[in-house]
Amino acid sequence: MTLVPVTYKGGIFQHDIVVDLIEDLGGYIVQKHIIAQEVVLQCFVPREDIELIRQISRPLFGEVTDSPLVGTEIAIVSMSLEIHHLPHPSCDIAEYVRRLGAKSNMVSLARGPGKRIAGLNDEERDVINEHDIAVYLMGNFETCIEYKMPTLRRGIEVPIVLCGGPDKEVLERIIDPPVEGYVGNVGRFMRRTKEADELAKLDEIIDEITRVLEKKREEIAKDPLSVYPARLMGLIREQIPEILDVTSPTPLTVQIAGLRVKLPYDTFAERVKKVAIEDGITLGEVAEVLPSRMRDYVIVKVLPFSETNIAV
Amino acid sequence: MQAVEYFEVECPEALGGEYYKQIANDVLLDHNLLKVIDKLHIFIDPKVPVFVAVGLLKKISTRVRVGDFANVNPLEGKMTLVISDETYLASMLKIFWERFGKEKVEQPDRFTVILYNVPATPKEIEDIVVGDPSESLHKDLIYALRCIAPEGFRLRSEIFTGTKFTFVASENTLAEDIDTLVAEKFRLMGEVPP
Repeated sequence: MTLVPVTYKGGIFQHDIVVDLIEDLGGYIVQKHIIAQEVVLQCFVPREDIELIRQISRPLFGEVTDSPLVGTEIAIVSMSLEIHHLPHPSCDIAEYVRRLGAKSNMVSLARGPGKRIAGLNDEERDVINEHDIAVYLMGNFETCIEYKMPTLRRGIEVPIVLCGGPDKEVLERIIDPPVEGYVGNVGRFMRRTKEADELAKLDEIIDEITRVLEKKREEIAKDPLSVYPARLMGLIREQIPEILDVTSPTPLTVQIAGLRVKLPYDTFAERVKKVAIEDGITLGEVAEVLPSRMRDYVIVKVLPFSETNIAV
Repeated sequence: MQAVEYFEVECPEALGGEYYKQIANDVLLDHNLLKVIDKLHIFIDPKVPVFVAVGLLKKISTRVRVGDFANVNPLEGKMTLVISDETYLASMLKIFWERFGKEKVEQPDRFTVILYNVPATPKEIEDIVVGDPSESLHKDLIYALRCIAPEGFRLRSEIFTGTKFTFVASENTLAEDIDTLVAEKFRLMGEVPP
């Protein structure tokens, strides 16, 4: 059974029918938003059952769309929090990937801007490494990008998608060793992205992110994970009810190969490790439970089958 | 850009220059500065790195009077002012309080001010000067140019004399012969440096 990420949009009336259906089919709901009279579910469902969900939700005016970024956490790396980079383009891009189902976090560097003076500290590096992918938003000059990129990527282990002002070919030429993805002609600009060509550019960024994530998923599929991260999400919610009191928009954030649990590490790490999956297997046996560099959260990294010899 | 007579961005990287022209246009438009700038030449060299903006301002001396944004209606010993734009409301009230005393000035709501038995004719009230937008012009212009300049360029030198301005920024210590560069850019616009 292959699970595919989709978004369900429909009316609030009888939406629990759809929720039950997805759970009965063996799918997982990653995020649920209720906005006025509308419900948006971001979920993983079995590929062969999408048509069934469409049929059953038709009388409820529900629609199911593909959203390849569901279940991913993306770091939007902005060079600073100054007016030069915010709210455009950093927020525009962060918001756009969120629409497609991703959980995006804006990581703003303390000393990102400039050419010679640009730098990356250990906290920033570790925070970026906790994500599935990092989207670097650079400036308009190839000289500066070429000069500062080696500093800014030092120690980064996750795939990087680089956005910058010069053309894509120029970016590919000046970055050595190459990064995973490039989007040209998106440097610093000072106005909202609302024209058709600007939106097309945002779509291009999404395509590039999707392509890179798809590659990462393929890599993982070669040595499958011991347990599906979205499954852990449901189990943690059942067994650690304190998570329901967390006011953060996504108390449990699903990643491609892990999970961020927004509870204090010192108090809850042991309980997270002891979460029972099935047949006496606990979460601690199939995943690493580590302190996150983001606040005092817990980060769960699911181990591959080759390391645990367990698949649940 | 119809209001600006001369507007150029010079940069060794053609594409980067184009983006900066767009940025400069957007920022000046957002800050309502296009109508006060006569000429503007921006030079950026990311290799040095240095950012130079030189330009000329238009002469503006439009002082704002009460009559420009308020209707004065005299009626039996009191005068009712109906305000259409709140920008200068605070400074107007301050002037009224100083001149007439607080007990004679009343503001029942945001857009109404009532003056009771003040020793002035409606014409005199209308002619009271409450603000001069050109006072904050240099401050606004420096802020706008800081937004346009690349962010890492934090070592700055600004010269504002009457109608001419120079703004130089870099992330390294500014070269001693930076005045020569500035003078050269003024000559490109057909002007003499301040």
